[in-house]
Amino acid sequence: MFLIINKGDIKISTTFEKLLHWYLAITCLMLICSGLGMMFHSFNFIAAPFGGLKNLKLVHNYTGVAFIPALLLTAITWWKEAGTFDLPDDIEWIKKCGGYLWKVEELPETGKYNPGQKTFFLTVIFIGLLMIVSGFLMWNPEGYSKELINWMYALHACGIVFLLPFIVVHIYLGTVGVPGSGALVFTGYTSRAWCLSQCPKWLRKKEEDGTLEVFTGE
Amino acid sequence: MSKKIKLYDATKCTGCRGCQLACKQWNDLPADQTENRGSYQNPQSLNPNTWLLMHFDEVDAGADGVKWIFRKDSCMHCSDAACVRVCPSGALTHTKYGTVALDHKKCIGCKECVTVCPFNVPQYDPKTEKVAKCDMCFSRLESNLEPACVKACPTGALQFGDEEEMREVIKKRMAALKGKGHLYGDKFVGGTHMLYILPEQPVHYAGLPQNPMVPASLVAWKDWLKPLSLIAPGAVLAGTFLHYLTKGPKDVRKSLPETKGDA
Repeated sequence: MFLIINKGDIKISTTFEKLLHWYLAITCLMLICSGLGMMFHSFNFIAAPFGGLKNLKLVHNYTGVAFIPALLLTAITWWKEAGTFDLPDDIEWIKKCGGYLWKVEELPETGKYNPGQKTFFLTVIFIGLLMIVSGFLMWNPEGYSKELINWMYALHACGIVFLLPFIVVHIYLGTVGVPGSGALVFTGYTSRAWCLSQCPKWLRKKEEDGTLEVFTGE
Repeated sequence: MSKKIKLYDATKCTGCRGCQLACKQWNDLPADQTENRGSYQNPQSLNPNTWLLMHFDEVDAGADGVKWIFRKDSCMHCSDAACVRVCPSGALTHTKYGTVALDHKKCIGCKECVTVCPFNVPQYDPKTEKVAKCDMCFSRLESNLEPACVKACPTGALQFGDEEEMREVIKKRMAALKGKGHLYGDKFVGGTHMLYILPEQPVHYAGLPQNPMVPASLVAWKDWLKPLSLIAPGAVLAGTFLHYLTKGPKDVRKSLPETKGDA
């Protein structure tokens, strides 16, 4: 069953991590929807429930403010596990595209997060920072050269061009692409098989350290 | 509907500022408290209550001493208007007259037009949180009247009419000036619907851009990045669908040595 924790399941995410994931995800999705609602005339209807484009702009701008702590906490919380690469295994993994695109005999073992996830994490952090800086300059353009502000608009759009495809892949692999992943962001637990497949190095280390948390049914 | 042209022939202009006042009057714009800076130019620049401003420049003319030159500054009504391209709410639009209209009700005060306009025309008003600019008296055009500034001009420096007609007027005037007139406005941003005939090279007029254009950043954004922001995730979404159908989801049970994937 989807959201039922089974006996023997392994704890992957803490409650804090789950809350942070949704804090980031919800602000992010709100920013994307409100942003697209302003960029495309054909999406202007997104503004209707807020009472018009002017309010949608306010929603976008203040959600942007709420996004800043989400991004900073994300960077701090997962930098060690997702922001640094484990060489040379991660390079080997990238060369084989993690076995997702063609049949691969032997894949190097991955830690808590695989290089694909790490790339997504770093993309979110750096594009997130780019969006915050460019967004705030666009919000308060007075006192800066017009050319700088004009390029901020182009950069802001560039950010979304790179971020959206990653988010699509993230949602695909987090749901139907790799069964067993979706429940994680709600329960924090998943099966041993999932761990052996997705984060064997991390699993082994936790077992060696004796810090692995296994659901016993109580 | 024929496109319209407003011609400002500076060789006939006496700098009386009747047009500046007529603009204020027709558009019901309040006077501003200004400061005397030793120039007839007042206020110093366009602002939310001043959509038309006469510029006065003193130019060193060598042996001729100093020349005092005038320029009427207001919206140029570009054929390829950066402000229309950038406006997210559809407040700024091209009209059937070729002019650029501004629907105040639709303006959300995002200031995007303020930064992209190569002529620095749109002015943000913090009080109304909206942008203001000359709309070439759209309400008058709709009633078959000429713009208020043209109506007020006592010397015939401002003329208004159908595009073809005005091209003839310009041709004749340029010929009469025997090479001493400089046409400004026809060579960039798709041609503007306000044209100047200037007695001096455009470079002598302070604040008059020599090569105004739609910013490259705006072209990159609206022509390339904007469509890509839907095409890229759309293509990747199609890719994930194909991936699911051809390669299928990952079976994590295969990693369990004892079950070999049939659990």
